[in-house]
Amino acid sequence: MTSVRFVFPKPRLNELLRSPGGLPVAEALEQAHANLEAIRPTCTAELLALLELCEASYWNLKDAYDEPAVTELYSLAVKGIGAGEICGRPAIDAALTSFCDLLDHLRTLKRYDHEAVGVHVRAWKLLMMADLPQAGAEQILDGLLKVSRRYAAEARAASVA
Amino acid sequence: MALDVASRARFNLEKAAVLLLDDTPLGMSILVQIVTGLGAKQLYRCTSVEMAKEIATHQEIDLAIVDAMAPEGKGYDFVEWLRRETQEPNCYCPTLITTGHTPTSDIVRARDCGGHFIIKKPIAPIVMLERIIWVAKSGRPFLFTGSYVGPDRRFRDDGPPDGAGRRREDLARAAAEAAAQAPPDQQESPEPHAAS
Repeated sequence: MTSVRFVFPKPRLNELLRSPGGLPVAEALEQAHANLEAIRPTCTAELLALLELCEASYWNLKDAYDEPAVTELYSLAVKGIGAGEICGRPAIDAALTSFCDLLDHLRTLKRYDHEAVGVHVRAWKLLMMADLPQAGAEQILDGLLKVSRRYAAEARAASVA
Repeated sequence: MALDVASRARFNLEKAAVLLLDDTPLGMSILVQIVTGLGAKQLYRCTSVEMAKEIATHQEIDLAIVDAMAPEGKGYDFVEWLRRETQEPNCYCPTLITTGHTPTSDIVRARDCGGHFIIKKPIAPIVMLERIIWVAKSGRPFLFTGSYVGPDRRFRDDGPPDGAGRRREDLARAAAEAAAQAPPDQQESPEPHAAS
């Protein structure tokens, strides 16, 4: 028989949060946003570096499924998620999420689609452009989601089986 | 749970020891900017699971913010280790897991590693603050079973199925609810939970 033990810990964090001093919520959030604003140039540079690595990996890939290569692409794309918002280009986060979804589906299916991967890499590059209009970014994202969702149902069925 | 961004309510993270684990400079930088903006001063910045284990073994931590570190998911392994291998109070440490993307094969791991909350990137400072306040306040019990150690995952308080509780806590909750519904002159003071 499996034994289950319950414990009711009292985290010290609760007392610390209530201790005198500290910051008002509004001021803290303003400070956090200001801090993030300050790292915007670094974030943009890091995103560009990740994009370059991703492009290089993509051009080295052939049409056959190559697990380590697909995993490497996934590692690069997942590292960039979250930085788009900081750089003032939130569409990049959505595009990279779609890219990771696609690569995850391909890994599940042990299949490779050079064109689907390529469209995500090119979209990432386009979305890095500072003067891209909002409507254009939305159209790109719609297209990417259609591509990654094409494999979703099949991958789901494969992972259940 | 939603916080008002214009709220003047105060909170204090200055004395909280916060462990941050992220193996990418970009991810670590974003986390540091958010938590220092929220007022945290005592940060342990860990860029590897080994560093984080060293800190969790030798220092008392009040909050852990751990990146899942996809695709290997080493962050989940760290949280599982934290729950199973560290001494009190660190084994109960409020733990937030951040992730950019969770591969399908890691969903069960993410659920079962013992984290309090999973936060999807991009992380907005207000979301981080809401989750920190929530994990600090929540009275979620910890479970120790053969296969799972961590906060009770049944924190949507929907009550037991068909109204019949199986666990001691279910009975205690039902009694507390019944007492709360009783007229004031019939109410008894609730029995406090023992902390361990």
